[in-house]
Parts: sequence; structure tokens; C-alpha cells
Amino acid sequence: MAHILRPIGMMQTSTLAIEFSRLTRRRVFILSGLLGALVLSLWLDILAGPSGLSAGQVIDGLINPQSLELRYKIILWDVRLPDALIAIVVGAALGLSGIETQTVLDNPLASPFTLGVSSAAVLGASVAIVLLPSVPFVPPAFILPVLALLGALSSSCLILIVVRLSGGARETVILFGIALVFLCNAIASGFHLIADADALQQVVFWTIGNLTKAGWLEVTIVTCCFLAIFPFSIKHVWLLTLLRGGEAHARSTGVDVSRLRTWVIIRSSILAAFAVCFVGTIGFIGLVGPHIARLLLGEDHRMLVPGAVLCSALILSIASGLSKTLIPGVIIPVGILTAVVGVPLFLFLLIQRRGRSS
Amino acid sequence: MRLSVKNLSAFYGKKQILHDITFPDVDGGMVVGLLGPNASGKSTLMKCLSGEKKSKGNIIFDDDNLQEVGSKKWHEKVATMPQTPPAPTALTPTELMWSTARALALPYSDKELSRKIESIFNDLGLSDFQLDALHTLSGGKRQLIGLALAFIRDPELLLLDEPTSALDLRWRMIVLELVKNKVQQDGRVSIAALHDLDLAARYCDLLVLMKNGKVIASGPSEEVLIPENLARVYHVETEIDLSKPGYPRIDVVGAI
Ligand SMILES: Nc1ncnc2c1ncn2[C@@H]1O[C@H](COP(=O)(O)OP(=O)(O)OP(=O)(O)O)[C@@H](O)[C@H]1O
Ligand SMILES: [Mg+2]
Repeated sequence: MAHILRPIGMMQTSTLAIEFSRLTRRRVFILSGLLGALVLSLWLDILAGPSGLSAGQVIDGLINPQSLELRYKIILWDVRLPDALIAIVVGAALGLSGIETQTVLDNPLASPFTLGVSSAAVLGASVAIVLLPSVPFVPPAFILPVLALLGALSSSCLILIVVRLSGGARETVILFGIALVFLCNAIASGFHLIADADALQQVVFWTIGNLTKAGWLEVTIVTCCFLAIFPFSIKHVWLLTLLRGGEAHARSTGVDVSRLRTWVIIRSSILAAFAVCFVGTIGFIGLVGPHIARLLLGEDHRMLVPGAVLCSALILSIASGLSKTLIPGVIIPVGILTAVVGVPLFLFLLIQRRGRSS
Repeated sequence: MRLSVKNLSAFYGKKQILHDITFPDVDGGMVVGLLGPNASGKSTLMKCLSGEKKSKGNIIFDDDNLQEVGSKKWHEKVATMPQTPPAPTALTPTELMWSTARALALPYSDKELSRKIESIFNDLGLSDFQLDALHTLSGGKRQLIGLALAFIRDPELLLLDEPTSALDLRWRMIVLELVKNKVQQDGRVSIAALHDLDLAARYCDLLVLMKNGKVIASGPSEEVLIPENLARVYHVETEIDLSKPGYPRIDVVGAI
């Protein structure tokens, strides 16, 4: 009997270790490529702009700010650098929260935006622009992001409550998120009705998403938030990969899936709230950056999480550069360009992958 | 090693699913077959035994009472293969095995782990698919990966929820043979929910026959698999062929 039962194809040499490490190396290589592309794009983004700073001047100015003419110093340090950096940190933040939400909700369409975070931010911004154009003693530039942040964070709280009440059921969370989107949009529309033309234009402008209002303070806040949350994501990469094997598998290994889901949703919606409150809703990034990373790197979250961060940062950085150079003398709001840059790239990768697998 | 299950009850909401489940103590080296029609509570019992679902009553394994030691300690000894196979995502079997081992902090170096994964894949005939995306694999192969995921944890108590339901004739046999060998070698315990009575009679040392969340009969196969029991539980008329010792055959003549 025993001879029949012996599986065929035994006695191979230990190829798995070799092949797996080759695959891992290739992915690390792709990650390094993305990092390199990001640095390059940051550089080009700093160079791009109407005032004709040369590459040499930029290098000098970065190494020794005092060597620049005051005018150029201000342009470089107070406009170009913060604008270029906010693109990267906001992209990174949205990419991170996007990939994590997609994984824990097991839904390729999920992103912090489908949880209502951005709609709530728009609602907050609308309140700020329409109802509180000027509050005594408070600088106007301060009210808008704070209210947008409050809106976004309260939507996170609501989502959290729903996650707790539903015991972490996926569908409930997603459906509630969509409902929240409609609710916030409806209320915001109410404010838009009573807004004057000027305020309305401001709201529309904010909603499109735009990096040029951000300074060092904003860069610092978003960066700190990202850095505070990223280690938790890294700590969870194995669990998130395991979760891709299905909820039944995860539960059977003793993973508390509901708790993991709750944690991830809290942190990614907080991160998204901080990311959008200064720059408006650049929503598409958090959806497409992770998918591009998935196509390039597979599902192993050790690679996928950093990959999603890098891809999203890269797309937003490229969009930021293009927004300044596409039409000379005009800065196109970056929210328009993210889709214009991201969709073709995404389609290209999708089609290429389809072609390869069939 | 010894597993003892006494007076186990479990609920979904207010609805009682398991009623006072008790079966004879299971000693190391034994494979237990859990039998019963659909919705009789086999999967629910598995979830209770694995600690995934809360239950009332006693589950004692190796002097540890599940209700007392807490699920973390329990999961160190117990591995379950759920009835649902791994999800058909773009993940590869190797990545899933690897991340499972790492997420559970199994004490293997990278080299040991890859050797272990490779040998499990070899045993289960998965070597040719180890770096393919799960969604490109057939249903049976995915079921085998579910089994591999339980094996990687080297459990003392191995719970298998319908491990062979999607497998062809050959792999059904190989899998149960493999489980039996593992269990006998190190004196471990395995419980498998099965729908194939012939296989159960052939490979299990103890059978537990369930219906509506109650144990109807338990014991060795010749005591449990008798026409009266099968008629009562499955509503089928059967003839049992014992002419070949060790290989009882259950012929289902018709539904009642
Ligand atoms: N999540 C759940 N919520 C409510 N009831 C449930 C749930 N899961 C199972 N049940 C009920 O528990 C009972 C036992 O189901 P269980 O899945 O344990 O059966 P089973 O013996 O494994 O059946 P099968 O052979 O079809 O796998 C059924 O009546 C089922 O409806
Ligand atoms: Mg079942």
C-alpha cells in the first residue's frame, strides 16, 4: 500500500528558499527603484516653477541658504520646498491609509475616502468658508484646516463606533462609510446653497485639492503624523499578509480580526484626516497608489506597505511638478492632475499584467 | 497527551447550537472522526475546540483547561484547518505560509522555515504551485494549502474541518494517511470532520456521530456505523460490508 501513497515529484533540491529569496530581492529592487524615482521627482518638483531658479542656484541654496539672493531664498525655502515636500508626505499618508483600509476591509474599492473621511473634511471646510469667514483674533488660514480636521476626525469617530457596535463586520463598515459620504455631501450642499459666489468658489477650489497653501508647519504636522503611525503598520505587515489568506484562516490561527480591523481603521482614518485637512481632498491617490504597488510588488505586505507609500508619494509628487509646468504661468490644482497622471499609469499596468497572465 | 471533552454547549446569539457534547477521552496517537449531516454542528464544535468560539463546559487537553488557560496559550498547541479554504487572492502559497509562521512568531530561522515549508508542500504535492497566485489554483489545491497552513504550526491537537471534501480519490487517501502518520509518530491528537464514511471508518480510531448539535453515538467504527444509527442521523438506508477486515464499506441503498 505504502508505495502507492508516496507522492510523486519528491526529492527536489531546496529550490524554494532560492526562488523565494530571488523574488524578494527583485521586489526590494523595485522598491529601491521607486525610492530613486521619488527622489528624482522631488528634485524636478523643486526645480519646476515660474521664477527661473537654475539647478545650480537650487543646489547652492539648499547647501547654503545665505548664498542666495533674498528673493530666491524665499522662493526656494518658503514656496518650492514645502510645496514639494507636502506632496510627498500627503501622498505617502494617503497611500498608507489606502493600502491598510483595502486590506482590512478586504475590498479593492475601499479607501479612507469611502469611509467618509474626505466628505466630512469637505463639510468642515464648507462650514469654515461659508459660516466663519472671519472669527475675531483667529487667523483665517487657521480656521479652515482646523474645521476640516475636526470634520474628518469626527467621521473617524463615527466609523469607530460603528466598527465596535457591529463587532467589526466588514460590510457594515463599508455601507456605513458610504452612507456617511452621502450624508456629509448633502449637508455640505446645504451650505453651498446659502454661500455667496466667492465662498462657493473657495469651497470648490478646496475640494479639488491643492498643495500651494501648505508651509513648513503643515509639512511638519503631516510628517509627524505619518511617522507616528508608520511603525504600527510595519509591525502589522505579517498579520496583514496573513489576513489576505482570508478571514477564516486568520481567525483559525487565533488572530483577533475584529480588533485588528478596528485598530487599522482608526489609525488610517486619522492619518487621512491629517493628510486632507491642509490640502483638500486628493482622494484618488489613496485608491490607485496601493493598486499600482500591488501590481508591481504582489501581496506580501512587507513590500506592499512601503510600496504603496512610495507609489502614492511618487504620483502626487509628479502631479505637483506637472501642475506647475504644464501651462506656463498657471498652477493647475494638483487634485485635477493626480487623476490625469494616475489613471493612465494604472491602466497601463493593469493591461500589461492582464496580457502577461493570459 | 489526552483530550477530554465534557458537557460542551455553545450558542449563536440565543440559539443553542451544541447541546452537552461529551465523547470518550481521546489518547495520543488517535484520529477522531466527527460525522453528521449538514448543519449538525461539526464546524461549530471545531471552532469551540480551537478556542475561536466561546463555549460552556470542559475542554481539557494535556491538563490545560481551555476555559482557564486563555486562547493565546491554547493556540500554541492547537491548529485548525477551517472548512473555508484560503481566499483566492494574488498571494502565493509560500507568502501565506511564511506570513502565518511569522505572524504567529513560530521559532524558526529563515532557512529552517523555508525548508519546512518546502517539505510540507512536497508531502502535499504543492511544490509546482508554491509561487503561483492563490487565485490561479484549483479548489482542491487551495484546500491542500489550508491543510499545509495547519501543518506548519506543528500542533499537538490538529483540528481538520472537512479536510478532504474537495480532493480527488488519491489525495483523499494520502492526506488522511499523512495525518494518521503524524499523529501516531508523536502521540498527538487529531479530530477531523468528515462526510465520507468509508474514509472515516478506515482511518479514524474513534468516531463521533452528531445530529442537531447532539452526540448520537460515539466509539469505534463498528459500533457507530451501524444501519440503525445511519438511518436515524442521515435518513438513509444502508448496507455495511465487513468482508474485508480493516476496510468496512458503507453502501447507501437509498434515502428514507
Ligand atoms: N455564524 C453563525 N450564526 C448563526 N448561526 C450559525 C452560524 N454558523 C453556524 N450556525 C448554525 O449552527 C448550526 C451548525 O452549523 P455548522 O456549521 O456547525 O454545521 P456543520 O455540521 O459544520 O455543517 P456542514 O456539514 O454543512 O459543514 C447550523 O444550524 C447553522 O445554521
Ligand atoms: Mg461545517
